[in-house]
Amino acid sequence: METINKTLVTIGRSVGGVVGVLYQAGRDTIDMVIRNILPFMAFISVIVGIIKKTEVGDKLAHLIEPAAGSLPGLLLISVFCAIPVLSPLLGPGAVIAQIVGVLLGERIGAGNIQPQYALPALFAINPQVGCDFIPVGLALGEAEPETVEVGVPAVLFSRLVTGPLSVVIAYFASFGLYSS
Amino acid sequence: MSFSALAALVAAEPTVAPPSGFWGVLAGWANAFIDTFKIGGENFVGLVTGIIPTLIVLLTAVNALIRWIGPDRIDSIGEMAARPGLQYYPVRYLVLPVLSVFFLTNPMAYTMGRFLPERYKPAFYDSAVSYVHPITGIFPHANGGELFVYLGIAAGIQTLGLPLGDLALRYLLVGMVVIFIRGVLTEIITARMMARRTSGDAANAEAVA
Repeated sequence: METINKTLVTIGRSVGGVVGVLYQAGRDTIDMVIRNILPFMAFISVIVGIIKKTEVGDKLAHLIEPAAGSLPGLLLISVFCAIPVLSPLLGPGAVIAQIVGVLLGERIGAGNIQPQYALPALFAINPQVGCDFIPVGLALGEAEPETVEVGVPAVLFSRLVTGPLSVVIAYFASFGLYSS
Repeated sequence: MSFSALAALVAAEPTVAPPSGFWGVLAGWANAFIDTFKIGGENFVGLVTGIIPTLIVLLTAVNALIRWIGPDRIDSIGEMAARPGLQYYPVRYLVLPVLSVFFLTNPMAYTMGRFLPERYKPAFYDSAVSYVHPITGIFPHANGGELFVYLGIAAGIQTLGLPLGDLALRYLLVGMVVIFIRGVLTEIITARMMARRTSGDAANAEAVA
């Protein structure tokens, strides 16, 4: 009787644990969808509506289209985004990168940009990632103020090299992607 | 509404002419205004029905997995990454950033920097923050608020009817190569700047004395 009881308790506990974890995970997920994902989808949808209906989007897209459809153009975009003064301004919330991503996606879907440029483009529009967040990110890692003082310019200057470099790597890694 | 449908409608009801003149221009603007948000709304519904259901299930599964494994387990890797020596470079700028972004997600991933000596912290941050987008192709839980860097471009690939797996996987792997290079380079730059700063301080101290 003792052993049966013990087994029952163990089973009950572990099942409860599994269900509890899954339920909590679901709660976290819905929280994230409502707090972060849905608002951004709403925002992107407004932008897409304006881009599709007005000529502003077309003009903007034609402006980046020749740049995004070739390796030198992509390198130019990445250097621009990595300029130490601009990168912290372009960084916040990755909003700029996401809008440009949507714009380029539209062009790829329309057939104006070849799909194998998708991979290098993903890196070209994003060398500024996290450049606005360096002091906070370092503080989260419990860095000293002296480290922050050195770390901010160090990361910004490093991006100037690694930004274009990442585009080149992605370009060579995209051989055989969506092309025969 | 296509032109032919419009023409058919006009033919069917010849008594109602479309508004013209000044009023017609205003009415045209009103139509364009509403259409803009209609297109936006259609896009929104497309995103919600196309992306959200899979995303919710995937996020729940990964969140549960992370809770079972326990994010504390990667602390030992953080301690290991703090060691000097060439063989620990891949641990510091590849294994640790990837695991912290996966388990702790943006922005808590950067707290793993606390295990590292000061001179490695900027490089680790650079490395970790550069991985919060490449990972979203396959594991969107890591950075739910910034999915559209990948999703925007992926939408175009999807429109063409091409499979996304290839792009997502390559994005993930190239991201790993890039964050490693970024970590190493930023570490070198940080070391140079720290050296210059300390020698500058020493020179200042001598000048004062």
